Amino acid sequence: MDTKNSRSEFGSKEQEVKLQDDSLIIHEEEIEKIDRALIKLIKGAEAKCALLVDKDGYLITRQGFTHSLDTTALAALLAGSFASTREIARLVGEPEFSVLFHQGKRDHIHISLVGERSILVAIFDDRTTIGMVRLYAKECGEELATILGQAHKSKKKSEPAIDSGFAASAEDRLNDIFRD
Amino acid sequence: MVSINYAFREICCKIVYYGPGLSGKTTNLIYIHKKAPPQTKGELISLATDADRTLYFDFLPIDIGPVQGFSTKFQLYTVPGQVYYNATRKLVLRGVDGLVFVVDSQAAKLEENIESMNNLIENLEEYGYVLEELPMIIQYNKRDLEEVSSLEELEKCLNPRGLPYFEAVAVKGTGVFDTLKAISKLVLEKARGKSEPEGKKELISVSAESKSSVMPSAEREELEKKPYAPARESVPEAPLGKDSFEEVERDLEQPEKTYRVEEKLEKAREREREKEEQAKETVRLQKEKEEELIKVRLKEQEEKARKEKEGAERKKLFLERLEREMAGVERQKKALELEKIKEAEELRKKEQAALIEKMKKMEEEKKTLIQSQSEIEKETVEAERVSKEAVPEGPVQTVKADETGLPFQSKIIISPMLRQKKTKPAKGGFLWRWIQKIAGPNLDPKNRR
Repeated sequence: MDTKNSRSEFGSKEQEVKLQDDSLIIHEEEIEKIDRALIKLIKGAEAKCALLVDKDGYLITRQGFTHSLDTTALAALLAGSFASTREIARLVGEPEFSVLFHQGKRDHIHISLVGERSILVAIFDDRTTIGMVRLYAKECGEELATILGQAHKSKKKSEPAIDSGFAASAEDRLNDIFRD
Repeated sequence: MVSINYAFREICCKIVYYGPGLSGKTTNLIYIHKKAPPQTKGELISLATDADRTLYFDFLPIDIGPVQGFSTKFQLYTVPGQVYYNATRKLVLRGVDGLVFVVDSQAAKLEENIESMNNLIENLEEYGYVLEELPMIIQYNKRDLEEVSSLEELEKCLNPRGLPYFEAVAVKGTGVFDTLKAISKLVLEKARGKSEPEGKKELISVSAESKSSVMPSAEREELEKKPYAPARESVPEAPLGKDSFEEVERDLEQPEKTYRVEEKLEKAREREREKEEQAKETVRLQKEKEEELIKVRLKEQEEKARKEKEGAERKKLFLERLEREMAGVERQKKALELEKIKEAEELRKKEQAALIEKMKKMEEEKKTLIQSQSEIEKETVEAERVSKEAVPEGPVQTVKADETGLPFQSKIIISPMLRQKKTKPAKGGFLWRWIQKIAGPNLDPKNRR
């Protein structure tokens, strides 16, 4: 029997590799670059804060006045909002709505797609205008897309982050924390 | 997929609670939120309808603190269970790291559970995930109710792969933490497995009697052909139910099993071929698309460059023209100014000339005047001389005022007339008023003396 064929039947290694490539791994130098771009956006557009969120709902990084915000929940909800918008786009026959804008009484939110899998979020108030935010967000988005694209390319070389003891020590912690 | 953030030293995993409507997914999260230590849990966010049915998802972040220097976080999501919320349910599955399938144990709900499981497989396929490759735990919920299916029956229908399972009563919290701990562990093990691929994976055989509709029909048939092995109990050390090559080879060594395996492999080969063809086709199509795209982009770029060039030239020309025009205008301005100055000078000269002429004229006039004056003087002198010679000297007539105090002239008009006629004009008559006007109050005899 040819093992090559049996392989594809039982454990599709290609798919596993593909899934592995999908996982989001971010290094310090990239974060530094991203932060710089976000600060530029905040200063240029006079926004309150800017967040970079993964489409899966993880917060990648944030800048500006975010102390009063629950950024974890915000990231998850924004990603959800964006996901549902994309689904709406699909239903109306549009490939993707790349920009979303929520207008409030005081604060407004500008959400734009960055590259393939990240979302750039800018929160701002009436000190600035939507036009300014839009302009700088577009500029920033392009910059971030190149940074993330490079990160994605260089990621394959990176060494594994989690070693064999990780799951075990995590289990100990879990047992400590979650006791009925 | 597990997110590893080296800058914040964070590892994030997404765990989704899946299952039919009202099976207790949100209840699981509520219990975890209620009982977890405050430093580990975030806020529970629930996007629910007014009737507390999940509309989009519930979200609970859990931070178990640093593990080997990495702050380890779990994001727990639930999906809306109701059938018609499939659109949002599918969205929640994006980037999932681990699944908890919450089963409603009530006998009447068995069909719904199976339907939900099939829906899960479908939705995962749309994202390109394979159920067998995702860490998954099954939770048999509502075990405290009276009319529940037996554990064996549920296992048969919903867990043909023999995944680890837990019995639970989510409202009371029984089994909730056990489920969470088990899935967390599986997810982290899987994350490690990704960075250090594990060679050995245990075979989990499936009961031959299993006739659940959970698996797609082709796979189910194959599984049914497999040799019987009793369903396993909760096995935490077997994260993935998957046959390895060694197992197949071992099977081949046993002659009585060979034909089944051969059949299986034949099918597998066919499928493999089909897949390869499909893959080739898609690759070809993609390439074509890409080429087209590249062409279009190149064209666009050329167009853009051309337009830019044209634009630049036009701009240049415009600027040049503008400059020329500006220069012309300047020149015109200067010429105008010069003309004005000249005109002004001419005017001034003319005025001067006119003035000089005027002066001359005036002088002439003066001369003539002086001349005529001297002539007149001469004449008067002559006349005086003549009159002295002609008229001898007499008394000088002097003008005197008469007794009315009026000058003679008025006396000549009024007095002689009044005295000669010895009548007075009637008072109030026209004449009287006229006289009164001329003579004033002196006319009244009372005022006279």
